[in-house]
Amino acid sequence: MSTTKTKWTVNLKVYRKKGQKAPYYDQFTMEVDPDEYVLDAIERIWAFHDRSLTFRHACHHSTCGACGMLVNGVEKLTCITYIRDVVEDGGTIVIDPLRNFPIISDLVVDMSLFFDRMEMVGQRQVIPIAEEIVGSSQKAQSAGNGKEYLRLSDCIECGMCISACPIAATNPDYLGPAVLAGAQQSGLDKKPELLQIVDQENGLWRCHSAYECTAVCPSNVDPAWRIMDLRRQVTSQRFKRLFR
Amino acid sequence: MSKPKVIIIGAGFTGVATAHDLALRGFDVTVVDRGPIANGTSGRTHGLLHSGGRYAVNDKESAIECIEENTIPGVIEPNGGLFVAINESDMAYGEDFIEGCEACHIPIEELKPQQALKLEPNLNPNVLVAFRVPDGTFDPLRLAMSFAATAKSNGAKFKLFTEVTGLILNGQGNVTGIKVWDRTNDERYELYGDVVVNATGAWVGEITAMAGVDVPIRPTPGVMVAFDQRLTNHAINRLNKPGDGDIVLPQRQMVVVGTTSFEVQDLDYVPVIEDHVKLMLERGAELLPTIRNTNMRGAYMATRPLLGSGGSGRSISRTFKCFDHKETHGIDGLVTITGGKATTLRAMAEKTADVVCEKLNISAACTTKEVPLISYREFYRLPNDD
Amino acid sequence: MSEHADKSGISQAFRWFDPRGRDVGTIAFILNRITALGLTFYLFLHLIVLGQLAKGAEAYDGFLATIRSPIFVFGELLVVAAGLYHGLNGIRVGLTSFGIAVPQQKKLFYWLLAIAVLGSLIFGIRMFTA
Repeated sequence: MSTTKTKWTVNLKVYRKKGQKAPYYDQFTMEVDPDEYVLDAIERIWAFHDRSLTFRHACHHSTCGACGMLVNGVEKLTCITYIRDVVEDGGTIVIDPLRNFPIISDLVVDMSLFFDRMEMVGQRQVIPIAEEIVGSSQKAQSAGNGKEYLRLSDCIECGMCISACPIAATNPDYLGPAVLAGAQQSGLDKKPELLQIVDQENGLWRCHSAYECTAVCPSNVDPAWRIMDLRRQVTSQRFKRLFR
Repeated sequence: MSKPKVIIIGAGFTGVATAHDLALRGFDVTVVDRGPIANGTSGRTHGLLHSGGRYAVNDKESAIECIEENTIPGVIEPNGGLFVAINESDMAYGEDFIEGCEACHIPIEELKPQQALKLEPNLNPNVLVAFRVPDGTFDPLRLAMSFAATAKSNGAKFKLFTEVTGLILNGQGNVTGIKVWDRTNDERYELYGDVVVNATGAWVGEITAMAGVDVPIRPTPGVMVAFDQRLTNHAINRLNKPGDGDIVLPQRQMVVVGTTSFEVQDLDYVPVIEDHVKLMLERGAELLPTIRNTNMRGAYMATRPLLGSGGSGRSISRTFKCFDHKETHGIDGLVTITGGKATTLRAMAEKTADVVCEKLNISAACTTKEVPLISYREFYRLPNDD
Repeated sequence: MSEHADKSGISQAFRWFDPRGRDVGTIAFILNRITALGLTFYLFLHLIVLGQLAKGAEAYDGFLATIRSPIFVFGELLVVAAGLYHGLNGIRVGLTSFGIAVPQQKKLFYWLLAIAVLGSLIFGIRMFTA
């Protein structure tokens, strides 16, 4: 935000990588408004300091999920992260690309495998409102004209949960929090074929309960809860089978 | 015979929709953008899938475009919208609104205050009348990616993070290609095509300047503010002539209030003006008073590509125009498409593809109204073959 | 054009133990991994000690004398503490994996940590005063 208030001077230490060359950090000293977002500062680096900087961004208000990065080592959706929340006047903000994804260039990571998995579990971006509320038994809301209200789902596929997950760090075959959460929301009852995708070594049993996915999720998806709920469903299915 | 080659500059709504259209018509399409998909105006759009009601009184051309195109499939919240009157001035506008919507064939349903409040309990309890219209909300990035994915599945190539550094002109001063800089690996190269389509929205002037010509474009940014609670399922519009902060949209777990209208010099970085952010809260609270109990989630801006040199801001039509620079400036090989709005992206693409076909003397019909879009995720899943 | 910059394997495994910028869940996860490694190491030690039995009673008695020193007692206390923490956290992970008390996982962690510390203290006092 542009104001006449006190400006801060901060250093942005930005991860850089081009092609096959070795990665390094670039430092930019900038005047910022503490009430600006981190993404604003990054965009200004590109606009006024270094046109070669690459980063992903689109909506600038947390609906698209493109601008997830590491800010001082923690996954943040940079479009809604205030500068005042991550640094003090005169301090340094370190910006890195998300972890556990291949790096394409600078802050841009390759999300194709992640999107492939999201499609595989049938994660729906548009869903009935009642289905979006975690742990709720709320009845479907009618739109009054015989139709049910729909909404875009909470999961914006930013990949931050994958980046924060200690298991995804050492096992690239682990499906990962957002994918398992997507499967949970798709529902084993509605899509029984999901069972063999999630009920396997690198599926929901690989999670080791660090709960970082839920800690960094910018969008109330609560992937950890959804993974545990999926476990509960699968366990109870197996249990029932024992007595049949 | 090899396919005719078209280069599209810009991977915003117009660019990706034009790529989709031309790929279906059998062209060899390459899209270049200096950033990722929808990094400019398109990505930051408010997200209202317009019924056209907003323009039905003062801008009928654009209103008709909206209602005709208001069927974009895929990533939308199709819950309808309300035009809400809070005071006498709004009521007075209501008469013109009904007439305008009739003239533009926008279906409206009048609701009494109790009915409106039953539908949307967070609405200002002083609502005098409401009209229900077929508005919706969309996810800007995913909408653009749906078009891009479908284009890619039909053979279009995307070169993202690739900035155009110049146009390649032949001896007659006609455009035959572009010089680009791949920012991911710092490589520079040239691309040649039969036609170069300039679909850079508010930035079209920067590309046409490379050919030494001008188009009548007036980039007009506006500020939007997202709040962290979903207070409505309908898009809430103020029943009055278009003004600041007169639309509140639901989107995921938020509501987004927009927008304002101002002018800037440098398009690459437009600051979000603090006074405008405050104004959005004020104006939004007139429609949904409980906005005051929510927290701000994000404030941002987008730059509308308004057409025309006369007038300013709100008075300029929201319609679109395709310029064949052979006709306007005697430069062959370059087509510029600009103006318009997200809701009309398919129509803008159809118009542009028609112009390209005409230029190259190719008869191929537009099929984008019938062909369904594939999942936006395919954009990442499909390989980028060169 | 893209390249796998993330190195999987040993160097990435150090991230298991990096608590910087992380939340309570990661502290629980790190402690769980450390205690697991510690207990596994102890199991081997234990087998080696038992191996002393094969060398005859004298050798074993001599060995027992050395491990009565405070350093070894402290080591044993660590084993008790690790066992307590790992067992209790196992209950926490087990519960949440059945979908029970997932939103309370942080509270569960604080409780189990308190019990583990208290239990270790009691053991410590008894071990050093016996």
